[in-house]
Amino acid sequence: MSRSFTAVSLLVLSASAAQAVDFDTEVWPILENNCTDCHDQDASKSGFRVDLRSAFLKGGDSGLAAIDLENPESSYLIELVSGKIEDLPMPPKGDQLPKKDISTLLEWIKEGAVWPGQMEGKTEHAEATLWSLQPLDPVDKFNEKASPIDAFLEEALLSKDLGFSEPAQAGALLRRASVILTGLYPTYDEVEAFVTRFIEDPETAYRDEVDRLIASPQFGERWAQHWLDVIRWAETNGSESNLYRKNAWIYRDYVVNAFNNDIGYDRFLQEQLAGDQLGADAATGFLVAGPHVPAATVGREPAAKRQARADRLDEVMQTVGASILGMTVSCARCHNHKFDPISIQDYYGLSAVFQGVEFDGRFVTETRDHPKIEKRPDLLAGIEQIRKQQREKGAVWKEDWKAHTEIGFPTVKAKEIRLRFHWKRVRLDEIELLAPNSSSNLLLAHTGVEVSEPEANRAPLGSIDYLNDGMFGTNAWMAREVADAPGHPNEGKPYIEFEWPEEQEISGARLSVNRTYALGTDFIKAYSQKVPEFTLERKVGDKWVTVVSRPKALEEIQPLVDQYVATGPQFSFVGRFEEKPPVTQLLLRGSPENPRGEVVPAGFSVIDGDLGLDSSTLDHERRLAFGDWVTSGENPLTSRVFVNRVWHHIFGNGIVTTTADFGEAGARPSHPELLDWLATRFQTPVVDGGQGWSVKALVRELVLTQAFQQSSAPDKAALAVDGATTLLWRYPPRRVEAEVLRDSMLRSAGVLDTTLGGESFRIHNVKATYSQWEVVDNSSESTWRRLLYQERMRRVDDQMFTAFDLPDCGQVADKRTISTTPLQALNLMNSDFIMTVSKRMESRFENLTDEQAIDQIVREVLSRRLETDEMNQALAFVREQGLAAFCRVIYNTNEFAFLP
Amino acid sequence: MNEENISAHGRQFLGRRDFLSQVAMGIGGLSLQSLLAGDGMKVPIRPSIDPQNPYAPRGTHFETPAEQVLVIYCPGAVSHVDTFDYKPELIRYHGKKPPGLPAVTFEGPSGNIAKPFWDFKPRGESGKMTSDLLPHLGGLADEFCFMHSLPTSTSAHPQGENFMNTGFTMEGFPSFGAWVTYALGTANEQLPSFVAINDPRGMARSGKNNFGSGFLPAAFQGTAFNAKNPPANLVRPDSLSPAAERKSVDLLRRLNAKHLEQYPDDANLSARIASYELAGRMQTSVPDIMTIAGEPESIHKEYGTDAGSDLKREYAKNCILARRLLEKGVRVVQLFNGSDPSGGNGITNWDSHNDIAKTHAMQAEIMDQPTAALIADLKRRGMLDKTLVVWCTEFGRMPFLQANGTGRDHNPEAFTCFLAGAGVKKGFSYGSSDEFGFKSAENPTSIYDFNATLLHLMGLDHERLSVYHSGIERRLTNVHGHVVKDVLA
Repeated sequence: MSRSFTAVSLLVLSASAAQAVDFDTEVWPILENNCTDCHDQDASKSGFRVDLRSAFLKGGDSGLAAIDLENPESSYLIELVSGKIEDLPMPPKGDQLPKKDISTLLEWIKEGAVWPGQMEGKTEHAEATLWSLQPLDPVDKFNEKASPIDAFLEEALLSKDLGFSEPAQAGALLRRASVILTGLYPTYDEVEAFVTRFIEDPETAYRDEVDRLIASPQFGERWAQHWLDVIRWAETNGSESNLYRKNAWIYRDYVVNAFNNDIGYDRFLQEQLAGDQLGADAATGFLVAGPHVPAATVGREPAAKRQARADRLDEVMQTVGASILGMTVSCARCHNHKFDPISIQDYYGLSAVFQGVEFDGRFVTETRDHPKIEKRPDLLAGIEQIRKQQREKGAVWKEDWKAHTEIGFPTVKAKEIRLRFHWKRVRLDEIELLAPNSSSNLLLAHTGVEVSEPEANRAPLGSIDYLNDGMFGTNAWMAREVADAPGHPNEGKPYIEFEWPEEQEISGARLSVNRTYALGTDFIKAYSQKVPEFTLERKVGDKWVTVVSRPKALEEIQPLVDQYVATGPQFSFVGRFEEKPPVTQLLLRGSPENPRGEVVPAGFSVIDGDLGLDSSTLDHERRLAFGDWVTSGENPLTSRVFVNRVWHHIFGNGIVTTTADFGEAGARPSHPELLDWLATRFQTPVVDGGQGWSVKALVRELVLTQAFQQSSAPDKAALAVDGATTLLWRYPPRRVEAEVLRDSMLRSAGVLDTTLGGESFRIHNVKATYSQWEVVDNSSESTWRRLLYQERMRRVDDQMFTAFDLPDCGQVADKRTISTTPLQALNLMNSDFIMTVSKRMESRFENLTDEQAIDQIVREVLSRRLETDEMNQALAFVREQGLAAFCRVIYNTNEFAFLP
Repeated sequence: MNEENISAHGRQFLGRRDFLSQVAMGIGGLSLQSLLAGDGMKVPIRPSIDPQNPYAPRGTHFETPAEQVLVIYCPGAVSHVDTFDYKPELIRYHGKKPPGLPAVTFEGPSGNIAKPFWDFKPRGESGKMTSDLLPHLGGLADEFCFMHSLPTSTSAHPQGENFMNTGFTMEGFPSFGAWVTYALGTANEQLPSFVAINDPRGMARSGKNNFGSGFLPAAFQGTAFNAKNPPANLVRPDSLSPAAERKSVDLLRRLNAKHLEQYPDDANLSARIASYELAGRMQTSVPDIMTIAGEPESIHKEYGTDAGSDLKREYAKNCILARRLLEKGVRVVQLFNGSDPSGGNGITNWDSHNDIAKTHAMQAEIMDQPTAALIADLKRRGMLDKTLVVWCTEFGRMPFLQANGTGRDHNPEAFTCFLAGAGVKKGFSYGSSDEFGFKSAENPTSIYDFNATLLHLMGLDHERLSVYHSGIERRLTNVHGHVVKDVLA
């Protein structure tokens, strides 16, 4: 933007020659009579005033300049006063301006909008007064202290006459550290070993335990879930059919591995933005984590399709805004941000960065996180060789690629091709005719091909245009048999003809029924992907000559195809990219029906977001450049937002409590110096020669503080001063998340399957396209993996843990709500899950005496031993009701549900 | 600062007034009020929610006769021109294609104008013209306040359902029922504050989103059950005797009491203890309320549980359940007439792209008599004086047929809903669509306006009922909406 403003002001200076319109006597009266009631210094409705020339150049909340000196006719002011903006006439009440006045205004603009006395006035630039946009400013006053973090905290506590609480007891401390770091309560063996060592040397014992937990693979699982919450990642689209996104889970595994391998937060962001360029294909699942409305359910109105595309892009904005930048970017979609220095230009500049991203999958080849994938060039070469041999032999054959059928035949020359189908009903989303060697599709529009079908065979909604539009999916060509059709060239059954301006060489064909569904979704009762039988003919003279008729599968080639389909690159829902995206337009009031000029890809202008890109920049270069911008170390938001998020997960509340909003309407940091110190330190290598941005180092440093290790016991005096425990005079106790409850139940019962990564475990049915997912089994052995791996269907109640504030993945969940409802109690008391797990726990200890078994169970679940009175009550209960009933009670206690 | 995270102790010391200003300061730093005021926005009214009893009744923003609300939601889009929006021009233009109508609508190419598939007759003293498709509801026209000029912003069902029920076309926003119970709690703490009675065939297309809590605490989501299926996990497992259950609860109470000694006055812990007690009471109260067999035969007859299609009988039972819940003081009852998955008679909801004459008739047979009986029953019991009734759908249907010549496509530009009961004008029609029922004409009422009006009727200022989420003060009405004063009694 800054560049275009400069250009504008140059133009202004050179245009001051002879004017026909005089501002004071001709222009100002129009403005004064019609506009100043709402738009002057006292009342600047919609953020716009007419008494300053600079205001005209800058525009109001809409984000559009009111006058456009380069294209005066398309000035927003002129459009408004001439009633061109349908629902926003200006003036809003009464008559429109007389034509004469409108042409005076236009003339004035054409002459450079000369405004005596105001020509020096500069266009205001958004100024970064907002605290979070200032460069990091670390104060190193406590660097010599053992824990500078504690020192910052203590300084704030002392100012209120407060201090840290006593250290927590060993058992409670391990419970806390274990849940924070791995999302699991410790086993009793772990507790016992720790307590023994703790008595000898608390500091070393605790540090070793922290290192063990951080090194465990469960660390990545725990922290991955936090990240997935923010970006509302799920394995279905949401929306009408809520389709399953096949292989979307490879992104989840990418995140787990990224945290476990501590690849560096900078690298983590770069890969999620452009992993396809950085050897981490799965990482781009980030960009398409949010919900979307697939083309099939948008409807056929062009405006609805444009709106849906804009909505999809906005989902990307929300993901990037909330997770990386901690700003409510989407607020600037329709007008300049109400509170923050983000203009509508910024919004569309940022959206231009992602203009090449589409909610879809692609065949991933470069990934560390997809166990199935091997590139298998050997197989492809083998297939190609057999094809060549077959062609030389003059053979025709069929290959079943599951998502499509491929036909091969010796190369033929033709100007016209006909396909006669032998089925009564035909449905195909695409036909491709393949050129020899290159396999390029001869049916795409640029070949000048014409496609025709007999009118009589047409089926409603199945337009022939879908057949060669290069797009797969539910928009498909459909045709049906005509009964009683004498003289019909295919005995009444559907057929189709192609004709090119010139003769073509053709050596194969590719047909599919719904390639999008076949590749991209799963667990759906879809229609058969079987391609109808057909005969392919070419025209010689005025006769049709058969090239292929009802081709058969070839025994030599099909096994290789099967193997490649099963083990080669897999189509996975991690985004599809268009290298040359369309030009991004600023959309007036967010409406795709009101495009208002080109916007180039950029970050926020207020923090040097100029990426040096333009509308011709390739998609991947845009995403790479943006990744560099956010991780440059100069970006004031990236590290502040992330260290604060980590703080939130460790201490229950962020230093900035509004973890996804570092804007004007968000909270101010409770400890601003500490935040900047941490954000700076985070970017710096902890050891010489090591790498910066280490999440593990950050987490480790925080859990090793005195603040983390102190007791959570209440204190009346301290509560009176700081009821919300903002200053951390104690460790704030809180309820654990659904995952901790469930996974720890399974673990204590000895049945948790700790397999890392892979396909999600299923709890739902196989459903019809237009129906709801239903829970069919949420408790049997096949579900005993961590909840992270439960298939994540958007807005579906899992009948068990959804009640515990498990996000429904429709909206960003930078912080989970914590609520208490009777439904939680019912689920935890009466479900198949609780009964099954309790039973398993019982069988684990049934060979012991009642007292021993109770002791073991309580140790495993609560990491402690019962006191005498508790044991007596427990014994009396178990003798009557049995161990399983006792387990059920223990799992329902507050002590189990709350982090000490 | 998280209001829910503060212990009872903290709250006592802070005091209510200080607490509120702290919250406001915490969010804004500078002061949220000044920010909002500077932007012409109103300052939010935060309900004061006791964590130990999140369902306790809370005050309205201003006085209103309505204490409860019944929402009857008809997924699939009911054809306004075949039910309540009488358009004689359609008869005149039947079979023709007047200029100005679009060539392509949601499902594809459009066909010719079609007259209503059912005759319209004047009803009641108001003489309101309604069709023979819904004769029972038509008979109550004098009770209703029709709104004829509703446009929506989408022509796809799930987005439309979301918009109507949550105020946004996207997913994950709190539903109307969640907002109301968040603000007002409930009068009967033995029952869930917000009940979603799903269609006998299953949930509507937006599923749980229609009655979810979005980013409000999960406590305010609708609890799903109907006359046939109790809420999930309500029933004590068979393997446990009542005595075992009693003793289990007793042991749990003792263990929790002991644990509480370490954290005296921690509201989160005592809230959880209270929630188990409420769950226990619900195990009795919910089956009781679901037992409609004891209702007099005359009631069964009136609602129609004894005649007609199986789906109608089932839906009629749901209607009786709705009345019983309202009678017991449940704050919000959302009753669905239509689903997503197919069931029973082969149709799922009001979506009638093919053979509307047949499919709308089948759906109407299910909906008409039981719904009318429910409203009449509420009136007879004097409950309409304190209950707001809302009958709605996500959009209308086109005045012309689709290319197939038998169905009507989606019409997002105009459709009809009606209100009845507490605080609403009777025998009144507000706004109108154009001569064909194609677009809203007089007094267009956006969904934002509609929802603002519903909240107003419940005694809530839609501009001040907001919650802070991820950087934004979120409202049911986003940043829009005007109360339609003309429909208020």
